[in-house]
Amino acid sequence: MSASLRTLGAREQRRLPDEPFQQWVSPNGTVWTAFHRRENGYLLRFPDLADFELSPDGVCVVAWPAPGTSAGTVEHLYLNQVMPLALSRQGQLVLHASAVELGGLGVAFIGESGRGKSTLAASFATTGARFLTDDGLQLRLSDGRWRITPSHPSVRLWEDSEHAVILYPATQAPAVDYTAKVRLLAGDHIAFCAEARPLQRVYFLGDGTAPTLAIKALAPAEALIALVKNSFLLDIEERQMLAWHFEAMVELAALPIFFHLDYPRRYEDLAQIRDAIIKHVDY
Amino acid sequence: MDLLGKLALPPQVMARQLGDEQVFLDLASGAYFGLDPVGSKAWNLLAEGKTISDVCDLMIEEYDVTRAALEADIVTLVQSMIDRQLVSVIK
Repeated sequence: MSASLRTLGAREQRRLPDEPFQQWVSPNGTVWTAFHRRENGYLLRFPDLADFELSPDGVCVVAWPAPGTSAGTVEHLYLNQVMPLALSRQGQLVLHASAVELGGLGVAFIGESGRGKSTLAASFATTGARFLTDDGLQLRLSDGRWRITPSHPSVRLWEDSEHAVILYPATQAPAVDYTAKVRLLAGDHIAFCAEARPLQRVYFLGDGTAPTLAIKALAPAEALIALVKNSFLLDIEERQMLAWHFEAMVELAALPIFFHLDYPRRYEDLAQIRDAIIKHVDY
Repeated sequence: MDLLGKLALPPQVMARQLGDEQVFLDLASGAYFGLDPVGSKAWNLLAEGKTISDVCDLMIEEYDVTRAALEADIVTLVQSMIDRQLVSVIK
C-alpha cells in the first residue's frame, strides 16, 4: 500500500465554508492541522503552509502550496504528516514511532515529539545497526505476525542531536520553512533497512526524568492507551474505521512486547543505552 | 439504582478484555474507558446477564469487604458507565 502525491501551483488559502471535524494544535496554541471533509475525500490544511486534498481511499494526494512555501516544505509535510494519515485511511496501522533492526528483528520507539525517537534510531543506524523508519511506523499483520514496513529512508534531527550522532557527512534534504530540524538521507554512514521486519519489541519513551536507565513491562491495557495516543487515524469519526482500528490495537496490545523505557538524556550515554536495549531485546 | 436490573452494551460501544482489564470504545465519541481487574470481573458477570445483586453475591466470596461496601462500589461503577453512555439498563 502507498499513496501518490501530485503538487500543483501555489494557491491562496481561502477561508473554508465549514468547520474542521478535527484539529491538531501546536504547543503554542496555534492550529497546526485542520481536518475537513469534502465531497470527494478530505482536505488537510496546514495554515500558511499548504493544503492537501486526499481521495476518499487515501491513495491519491494533491498538494496546493500556499504562496511562498518551498517545494522542500511540501515534501516534508507530505512525508511526515500527510502520508501516515493517508495510509491509515487505507487500513494500515501507522504509529508515531521510529524503528530499527536488531538481529533481523524490528524494535520500535514510541513517544511524544522531543522524547528521542529519531536520536535513538539515528544512533543505532550510525553504529552498525539499520533503521526502518524515523517516524510514521507502518505495521502490517502477515502470517500471524506483526511486521514493520520500512518507510522513507531519512531521519530528522535537531542540530544538537545531529552533531552528537552523525559522525560523517550525510546528504541533507532541502530545508523546510517550519522547523529547524534537518532531514538527513540514508547512505553509507546512516544505514537503512529496506525490507520488512517482524516486530519484536516496542519501547514507550519516558520524559527523561528517570535518574538511571529503567525498563518496565507495560500491562496490555496501558499499552493500548499508549498505542492509541500515538497512532495516526485520518477520520476519527468514521465508525467502521474506528472499530477496525480498535480491534487491531487490541490485538497488538495483547502481545507481551511493550515496555516503558526512560533514561537521562545525555548524548555521552547513548552507547550504554544502545547496549542496554540490545541486551533487553535478547535476540 | 435497581439492583435487579440487567445491563447491555449499546450498539455503538465495543468492549474487549485485555489481560485482566476491560477496555471500552464509544464509537460515537471516540472515547476510551478502562476497568481495572476488579471492575473487569464485575463487568464480565454483568455482561453474562447477571444482575447487580447476583454479582455482589458471587464476588463477596472473593473479597474481604462488607456486602454494603461491595454493593456501593459496584453501583458506583455501573452509574459511572451509565453516565458515560457505555451501558444501558434493560428493564
